[in-house]
Amino acid sequence: MILKLAWRNIWRNRRRTAVILTAIVIGLWAMVFLSALMRGIADRMVKNAISTMTGHIKIYHAGYRNDPVIENRIENPGEIKNILQSLPAVRQFTSRIRVNAVAANARHSGGVTLVGIHPGREAGISFTGDAVTEGEYLKDEESQGILVGRALLEKYETRIGHKLVLMSRDASGEIASRAFRIRGIYDAELESTERQFVFVNLAAAQEMLGVNGDVTEFSLLIDDYEEAAAVAASVGRRFDGDDLAVYSWKELLPLVVAVLKMYDGFILFWFAAVFIAIAFGLVNTILMAVFERIREFGLMRALGMKPSFVVAEVSAESFFLLFIGTVAGNLLGAASVAALSQRGIDLSAFAKGIEFAGMSRIIFPVLELGDILTADAAVLVLGMAVGLYPAIRAARFSPVEAMVHM
Amino acid sequence: MNFIMAWRNIWRHPRRSILTIAAIVFATMLLVFMLSWQFGAYDTMIDATVKIHTGHIQIQAQGYQDQRDMRKVVPDPNEIERILTSLRGVKSYTFRAEDFSLVSSENRTYGVLVIGIDPQKEPSVSTLEDMIRRGRFLEAGDRRSALAGEILADNLNSPVGGDLVLLGQGRDGSIAATVLTIKGIFNTGQDEFDRTMIHIPLEYFQELYNMRGAVHMAVVLCDSLTAVPAVKERIAGALSGIDSSLAVLDWKELNPGLVQAIQMDLVSGFIFYLILIIVVAFSIMNTFLMAVFERTREFGVMMSMGMGPGRLMGLLLMESLGITLIGVVIGTIAGAAVTWYFQIHGMVIPGAEEVARQFGLPERMFPQLSFLSIAVGAGIVLILTVLSALYPAFKVKGLKPVEALSAV
Amino acid sequence: MTIVECRNVKKIYRQGEVSVTALDGVDLSIVKGDFMALAGPSGSGKTTLLNMIGGLDSPDGGSILLNGQALEKMKPSQLADMRLHQVGFVFQSYNLIPVLSAVENVEFVMLLQGMPLQERRRKALAILDDVGLAGKYGRRPAELSGGQQQRVAVARAIVGAPAIVLADEPTANLDSASGKDLLKLMQEMNESKKVTFIFSTHDKMVMEYARRLTLIRDGRIVEDRRK
Repeated sequence: MILKLAWRNIWRNRRRTAVILTAIVIGLWAMVFLSALMRGIADRMVKNAISTMTGHIKIYHAGYRNDPVIENRIENPGEIKNILQSLPAVRQFTSRIRVNAVAANARHSGGVTLVGIHPGREAGISFTGDAVTEGEYLKDEESQGILVGRALLEKYETRIGHKLVLMSRDASGEIASRAFRIRGIYDAELESTERQFVFVNLAAAQEMLGVNGDVTEFSLLIDDYEEAAAVAASVGRRFDGDDLAVYSWKELLPLVVAVLKMYDGFILFWFAAVFIAIAFGLVNTILMAVFERIREFGLMRALGMKPSFVVAEVSAESFFLLFIGTVAGNLLGAASVAALSQRGIDLSAFAKGIEFAGMSRIIFPVLELGDILTADAAVLVLGMAVGLYPAIRAARFSPVEAMVHM
Repeated sequence: MNFIMAWRNIWRHPRRSILTIAAIVFATMLLVFMLSWQFGAYDTMIDATVKIHTGHIQIQAQGYQDQRDMRKVVPDPNEIERILTSLRGVKSYTFRAEDFSLVSSENRTYGVLVIGIDPQKEPSVSTLEDMIRRGRFLEAGDRRSALAGEILADNLNSPVGGDLVLLGQGRDGSIAATVLTIKGIFNTGQDEFDRTMIHIPLEYFQELYNMRGAVHMAVVLCDSLTAVPAVKERIAGALSGIDSSLAVLDWKELNPGLVQAIQMDLVSGFIFYLILIIVVAFSIMNTFLMAVFERTREFGVMMSMGMGPGRLMGLLLMESLGITLIGVVIGTIAGAAVTWYFQIHGMVIPGAEEVARQFGLPERMFPQLSFLSIAVGAGIVLILTVLSALYPAFKVKGLKPVEALSAV
Repeated sequence: MTIVECRNVKKIYRQGEVSVTALDGVDLSIVKGDFMALAGPSGSGKTTLLNMIGGLDSPDGGSILLNGQALEKMKPSQLADMRLHQVGFVFQSYNLIPVLSAVENVEFVMLLQGMPLQERRRKALAILDDVGLAGKYGRRPAELSGGQQQRVAVARAIVGAPAIVLADEPTANLDSASGKDLLKLMQEMNESKKVTFIFSTHDKMVMEYARRLTLIRDGRIVEDRRK
């Protein structure tokens, strides 16, 4: 009965209801869509950082993280491999050698990170597996080939088939130098990645650095990257006593974690701002609807209706407005996200800016149930709370006052 | 009298008007504060980037910015110095030369950017001297001395006083090799710098790399950011008669990533603000609508007295403009006050310190109240709110006197 | 001198399927100085005819001339201008502007006419004195009695020196004493200021005050006589 009354009442002034519903729908849409956009940016950032030689979990020699040199290497990779293969939580893994090096050709020299990889095992773990856009990917047995990023290629003014000399300190402390031939060029999300990493076969790197069969890191993928910290801890227990350290991506990428946290804060701030904007309109609209019907409320009271009934009736009106607006806003938000999920938003116009900010070139909005629920709950619950003000105001009209009022 | 009427009409329903004004105050406050915040952050970022590294203007050989080829030099720094000393708007300047080289400590080797700096002039242009965490800055007369970034020094396992072997290639292709002593260790907060750079005295750099008196860049600091375009023009003018192989670049050209990141932040910020204000506009449009519809009969009377639809619209717009202006003025004052408070005391965004540091921002950030942030913030709210008042006002235009008079 | 000339004026209201003939060929002429009661039962077309003469509503047939100008040919803005200078209205339910005081309500017309502030204040005060509201200039409508409000309405209607004042049941909301006072006031204004009045009514007492009585029934004028 209350609901029926409230429902009919909100449609008494269609124009007014339409306007406030528009405000609520735009507000909800803005909450859902813009948070999805930010989650999309963050999601790409995390995935990108993880696929840039990080993985979900990494195993290093205990000293490597603070001092990433060849001396701090893992000398028993075979045993580790066997253990990792026996762990069900580990979906996929690979081992690498990763050291700082100097790359030089006739025109240019500069610092790079030399990464020795198992070409076949990288696919899926890091971006290298499918990032080669020109030339070809490394073959398992070849020892001469090197993959470089497009930006590095341009910086060194070189091309496929040309030589690139790499220099780094080997296990005995001497400068080892070796010439490689550029086999393929890869494109990465960030130019800085393209300038930093060069890839050779693991065996070639081991030979160059004189570390027979040793590696500097294992990179692991697990099923759910949110679980990385827990899995890292359990993997770590398997290697107790060894001179190894196991890190989750959150420990390896503190800056990304900080950005994620900042985004969390920003999304909440955005929700609050939009809600407040809606709240003013809601209270005002309900208040108007209530004052217009003073006589009616007076009549109800005169007929013996309890104040609590009036509060319930007016609250039900707020609820209907909020509920319709929330549902429509969610649908509209989800539709906008769906519309963009194929092509994304291309930010190439700001190429240098997004590079600076560490973002990716194309943003795909990502709906997160948690955000939607937070937004909906905030609008519904807080909206009902502020809607109490006009409701209580309406319940306080005394029958006489209300009947006299014109 | 129109004005008096509009004013009294606004206060006919004080509760309703106050809520509407409060919504406008909220929007204006938020915008003034957020824009001041953004502009403040941009200023700080630009300032940090300019002061840590690039300066406001650089004079380089044509093409050096894109291809850092050690042979692309500014051959005669003395000539540049003569131009710069007498130029209006130039606050200070210095010369630098740089090249990539290998640096080894006892058991570590890294490729780094070696930068030759003038120990006396450098502090007037960059904040490098203030960033020294251990040891001391370079002094006049220092020769085989180096300043290393903190991360690099850690990677090299080299403390202040440690020796580094440097191996590079001179301007003429000859081998440049020497032993340097770390005199100081700096920390700029930006990992990229702290991991990849060492600084040595410019004179020694020129000797070591066989520069024959040449440098790679003159770095200029202007009196202010706004003076940069004029100073750039003057420098270009003075150079045009002397050496056409030189290019004059301002901080925007030197930091294209920073400029675009700011633009992107501005654009996305404006999208957010716009959506927010549209929500506010719809929220308050109902007030304006009601103010029109519940007074239909009154408008009928006014029309019967000979008030034309244009004047009636004018009266209504004056009322909504009145409400909007009250809201915008209070919002601007309140927003400015809040901003001003944080401008003095600063504000820490928890969790954002790490991110901020990488963009050259301090942990405690200060919004920058400016005419621009106030004008833009108040302006957007004013325009969108007035637009939202137009629809109800236009509704009145089609009103027929008889119908209006018979309305309840 | 003829002020208003109605020729075969027709008005039909349509509401869905049903159409009601409100005016069915009215011919009427009003001359300067008339003090005329338009009488008839409710629904007879009194208000419709007044609205037509005042240019608030337009006829479906026939023609209305006000000071020689055909109203049905005017645009809304011209009609507004015509009302401003030629017509004054008094309504049954007073209809003063609630946010304006008595003197401001009277001034409002002159403001629209573009009269300078000093002059319109002087005239407004004078006319309020004439209608017997001296000393109550600053009161808002809500602070005045019904009779007093209607006096302000009369003052407002005549202050712009219109050719004609149209009053739609001006006494219907008043008690009989106030009603009589108001009629006496209108009569006085008619005599001293030569203001032409038409007022609609179905009240016998009111009709007695009129010098010309026109009866209307079912949209036609059935009787028109001068006393």
